[in-house]
Amino acid sequence: MKRILPVEELARDERFVRVDLLSRMADARKPSDEDRKGSQAMRPDDAASSDGARALMHGIFMGEIQALEGAGRTCWDFDIGTAHDEAPFELKLDMARQCWDEARHVEISVKLNEWMGTEIGEFSESTFLYEAACNPDPVLRLTGVNRALEGLAIDIFSSMRSFGQLAGDPVLEFCEDWMLADEVTHVKMGSDWLRRITADDPERRKNALEFQKIVDKLFSLGGFRGDDDESPIKLARRFRELAGFDQAEIDEIADLAHQALEEAEARRAASYG
Amino acid sequence: MSTTVTPESFAMVDFDAARIVDVVEHLRGRLQLPDVDICIEVDETTPMGRVRLARLDPLTVRVESGALEDPKAPRQLSEPGAAEALGRLLLAAADRLDPAFGAPALDAELPGGVAMAWDVYGVARLGRAGYGVSQQRRRYHFRNRFGFTDRADRAFDRLWDGDDLRYEDLVAIAADAVSDESALTT
Amino acid sequence: MAEGFEARPAFAPWDRRELPGAFSVEESARRVGAYKWIEMRLFEALGGWIATVPELDVKMHFGTHCYHHAWHAELWHKRLPELREMDPERLTAPGSDLVAEAMEAIVEPQGPELTLEKLVGVYRVLLPHKIAAYTYHLNSTSPITDAPTIRSLGFALQDERSDWLDGEMLIQSLLRDADDVERAAAHQVKIEKLLHAAGGIAGPGSLGGPTAADEAQEVSA
Repeated sequence: MKRILPVEELARDERFVRVDLLSRMADARKPSDEDRKGSQAMRPDDAASSDGARALMHGIFMGEIQALEGAGRTCWDFDIGTAHDEAPFELKLDMARQCWDEARHVEISVKLNEWMGTEIGEFSESTFLYEAACNPDPVLRLTGVNRALEGLAIDIFSSMRSFGQLAGDPVLEFCEDWMLADEVTHVKMGSDWLRRITADDPERRKNALEFQKIVDKLFSLGGFRGDDDESPIKLARRFRELAGFDQAEIDEIADLAHQALEEAEARRAASYG
Repeated sequence: MSTTVTPESFAMVDFDAARIVDVVEHLRGRLQLPDVDICIEVDETTPMGRVRLARLDPLTVRVESGALEDPKAPRQLSEPGAAEALGRLLLAAADRLDPAFGAPALDAELPGGVAMAWDVYGVARLGRAGYGVSQQRRRYHFRNRFGFTDRADRAFDRLWDGDDLRYEDLVAIAADAVSDESALTT
Repeated sequence: MAEGFEARPAFAPWDRRELPGAFSVEESARRVGAYKWIEMRLFEALGGWIATVPELDVKMHFGTHCYHHAWHAELWHKRLPELREMDPERLTAPGSDLVAEAMEAIVEPQGPELTLEKLVGVYRVLLPHKIAAYTYHLNSTSPITDAPTIRSLGFALQDERSDWLDGEMLIQSLLRDADDVERAAAHQVKIEKLLHAAGGIAGPGSLGGPTAADEAQEVSA
């Protein structure tokens, strides 16, 4: 079995359809200003929020599969060691533990999809998480996946747990609560390994944090995630602290989210001419 | 009787107006819709997915492009999705055109939850007519609106299994679905 | 003589454990190092395969089992230094070159159409061999002096048996027709021959009989 499996070779059954990010973003259609403002914080009594929750949870389901695959590849792709293209034994053990956790999350997501009336493969798949997990440097994998994308997962689960509580949905609340607990551990793994491995390598740490910043900004999704109460997905500050982010790092993510929102609004204004 | 789709050609999405006409014609036959002209007005400038019955004569449905879009293929038409989105509105229109149904005027505001109850009734009829619909998806929407309670589920089942319901039945079932007054806010 | 408490035997009447076991400290460490090596290769492979199999249920089982075998590797990793401070790095080695060759063959299948081969190599050949070797070790080593190894073997065997069952059920559910049965059997024979030639997962003597060290000693004598 080869090392570094490219995203084109990611194995899927016939239900899954992949759509690349560029294709998604090349959409000339834009929601109206009123829709954009009005569609902030999801509300259970709003039918669009209900379908939005379904699509979001299916997206999470796809993300969990890719996180499982990514953690698994990290077990395989590196010899044990301390060079940039190697991984410590204990890091591999942590990745194996993450495989178990993500397998459970896939199981939870399948059951949650059934609860919400969503079929497996009902929505298309974006492979950005797995692509971040293909980085040849294991430290960049951990910052891109564990800190950035699983950090986003913390924000989503925290927001969706609140949505479930508001709706009185016992299953959604239960599922988000349990997955949130695991994700805090995964993000903390990423934070801890980043610090340990780059303790004497500031250049490598700088590159890793830069990679994380790029992923964080890209996946603020044009302002969908933000620090405001009205953001559909709210930055979960407290959980991020528990996961090893310091205040400066959290503030930076909030700034990136705000920048992403401003850039998205500028693009919209430009396209309307 | 005719079916028209506007615009006749699309610039922002890859929809084929003729295919949308085919979907509507299939619905006409399968659902035994009244013999009236049907106009489908598609707003392709927005990716949102709202569908609205705008007029009864001619029967005009305004639909945002997201409602007809394949969730697995951006900007492509989904015929099953279009059938569900348009079919439930056309059934509601048929209900309104039937004096025995007893619907209020098109511009009258519906009591809280009745629009959703009507949707469930419509989608269930689509399912019985052979279209692929997801009962669980509709139940999830209904539960979010009315609560995750046995009472709400029983109301849903009455709508889903209901045959020959009148408007007043929908109102009564929607009212019965709530176990807490606050869930009836608009 | 001290007054007061009645003397009892040091071993309760139902405790029939005897002192000597079949392995010296060095031989026990060699085996544990071989177990660690194989658990590492196995968890790495299961992890790497997750992205290569299209079947969702197989992906999830590989993910769970990956952790089981990683945890076993960790148990063996922690046991090694306890055995008279032997160098864990040196001891973490395949039971023999032939064991390494067998493991290469087990982890070789990659394509998405080869889920059956991946499963058969692990669950119809490797895991039964591991269960056999672990059970032999558990039954043969000293229950008094080597109690920590026995404890770890007990935990590992619990996982091995349940994973074996999971894998076997997955295999049976994936066999569509007689051709698939032949395919599975052919791969099983191929891997079984390699592991048999190796003498088992700990090399010669995995289930008793002379080890490589015994044979080397006999030759030099």
